[in-house]
Amino acid sequence: MQTDLPERREAAGLSQEGLADAVGVTRQTINAIERDRYDPSLALAFELADYFDCRIEELFEPSADDE
Amino acid sequence: MSDTLHPAVETVAGSPRRYKRVVYGIFTIGIVGLFAGMLFDMALAGTTIYLFGTWLGTGLAAVLPRVSPATLTDERDIATHRHASGLTIRLIGGLGIGIVPALYALAAADLMTITPSMWGAIWMGSALFLVWGGCYTYVTRLR
Repeated sequence: MQTDLPERREAAGLSQEGLADAVGVTRQTINAIERDRYDPSLALAFELADYFDCRIEELFEPSADDE
Repeated sequence: MSDTLHPAVETVAGSPRRYKRVVYGIFTIGIVGLFAGMLFDMALAGTTIYLFGTWLGTGLAAVLPRVSPATLTDERDIATHRHASGLTIRLIGGLGIGIVPALYALAAADLMTITPSMWGAIWMGSALFLVWGGCYTYVTRLR
């Protein structure tokens, strides 16, 4: 899953740890999502989209190997 | 960080990485202790270390995520455990289906003998599959 989470997070002045605390996961999970090594659950994707006040499809986009 | 936690517990519960290292480390000490006890003919000492390690490790793994103000485990850990469990069952299933019938055939043809250790491994693999089947049925009915 491709994401612009790092750009949005940095634009918000947040560290991975800060974002992790805000959405209730570990820093390692945020890191894994940003590096395209873990696809978040629907609940976490909603949580992240809610945090950045955007839609899930604006935050995540299926990569070629997801299809 | 909570004021009610013992400083040592607070240190372990402060970071997911430290928490995992400590819990897995305690389990490892218990398991290594058990095998060392068997190897050096000190079964009672080995069993004591094993029980201490597994009980302490299980207790910490159950309690720390609940008392720690930091997030120690999350959905990715659960996904990792599920992935590893699925991989284990596929690996043992593949080995069982691919090798065990051939062993029976070779033993029946008197080309080899299935040793007690091999029987132990076959029974253990079969028992694991039986438990997996029971758990699968239970989970399927829950959904």
